[in-house]
Amino acid sequence: MTYQFQKISVLVVEDNQPMLDLTKSLLNTFGVDSVYCTKHGKEGFRVFCQENPDLIIADWMMKPVDGISLTRRIRNDSKSPNQFVPVILMTGFSEKRRVVQARDAGVTEFLVKPFSARDLYRRVAQIIERPRQFIRSEDFFGPDRRRKKPKYYKGALRRESDFDDADKYEVDINLDIPNEY
Amino acid sequence: MTDHYNQIPKRKAQFINPLNILKGKVGSGGLSDKIIEKAQELLEKNTVDFRPLAEMYLDSLAKGIEIAKNPLPSHDTEYVISTMIYPAMQLKGNGGMFHYQLVTAISDKLIQFLEVIEEADIEAIEIVLAYHTTIRAVVLGKITGDGGKYGDELLKALTDACIRYFDKNNENGYL
Repeated sequence: MTYQFQKISVLVVEDNQPMLDLTKSLLNTFGVDSVYCTKHGKEGFRVFCQENPDLIIADWMMKPVDGISLTRRIRNDSKSPNQFVPVILMTGFSEKRRVVQARDAGVTEFLVKPFSARDLYRRVAQIIERPRQFIRSEDFFGPDRRRKKPKYYKGALRRESDFDDADKYEVDINLDIPNEY
Repeated sequence: MTDHYNQIPKRKAQFINPLNILKGKVGSGGLSDKIIEKAQELLEKNTVDFRPLAEMYLDSLAKGIEIAKNPLPSHDTEYVISTMIYPAMQLKGNGGMFHYQLVTAISDKLIQFLEVIEEADIEAIEIVLAYHTTIRAVVLGKITGDGGKYGDELLKALTDACIRYFDKNNENGYL
C-alpha cells in the first residue's frame, strides 16, 4: 500500500519558470496528477479560490505578491475557501529569523532550496502524518508553532492551557530545516 | 482591566483540530524508495541552463551594490542590505537546483555576511562586489558541481576576506 497521490491536487506558486517546471515534475513523479501552476501570490490566491487545492507549495520571493503575503491571505481572507490548507514555503533562506518570520505568517512547513526529492517528500509526508493543530489568538491564526516533545522548550508559558499540561510542549523554531543540500 | 497579580499574563488561544483531508485522500504507506529515487534522478538529470537565471539575479545584485554605494536619504540600512540579500538568496536557492552547487555555497557565505553586518559601508560593499565577481566567473566558466579544489580555494579566499573585515570593524555586527 502506498500513498494515493493521484487523489489530491497541489498548487505550486513560483515565479522562476524552470523551478516551477521542476517542482511540478517532482510532484508528477510522486503520483500527483493535478498540479496547478502560477507565477506569483496574487494569481496564486485567485487559483486557490477557484480550485481549492489540498496543498500549496509557494516560493517566498515573488512580485507583486510574495509567498508570505499569500499565506497570510489564505489564513485570514474571508474569501479563502480553506483557511487550514497546508502551505509549504520554499526559499533559499535558512536563517532562524527568516524561519520565524515565515512561521508567524502561518506557514506549515519550510523547505530550504536547493532541496532533494526526499526533502520535498519529507515535508509532504510530515503534513500528512503529523498535521498541526491550529491556533486562533488575538494576534495570530495559523498552524500551532509548538510541537509536542517535552525536553527543549525553555521559554515563557503564556497560554492558559499551558498551566494544565505544561510538560508536553516544545517550541518548533527550526521547522525541520535540513542542513545538507 | 485584567489583573494578573504576580502571575505571568496569560493569552487566551482557541485550539482547532481541522479535518486531515490529505490523509483521508492519500491513505497510508508512504512512497517507495524507488519512486523517490526516480524523482531524485529527474532532479539530477534536469538540463535547465542556469546561466540566464543567474545573470538575472547577478544583475539584480549589481543594482543592489549600486544602491548601497549611493543610497538615497529615504533608504534605510535594512532596505539597502535587502537589495543585496534577496538576489543572493535566489542565487543560493537556485544554483544547487540546477547543478551549480558552488554558486550555492558562495552565495550562502554572502548571505551570512549580509545577515551579520549592520551597515553597508564601503569596505563591506567591496566584499559584496568580490562575491559578485566570483559568482559571475563561476557561472561564465560553467563550473558546475562544487568546483573541487578550485571551489574550496575560492570559498576560503572569500571567507578570509570577511574575517579580515570583521577583525578590522569589530563594532559592525561582530564580536
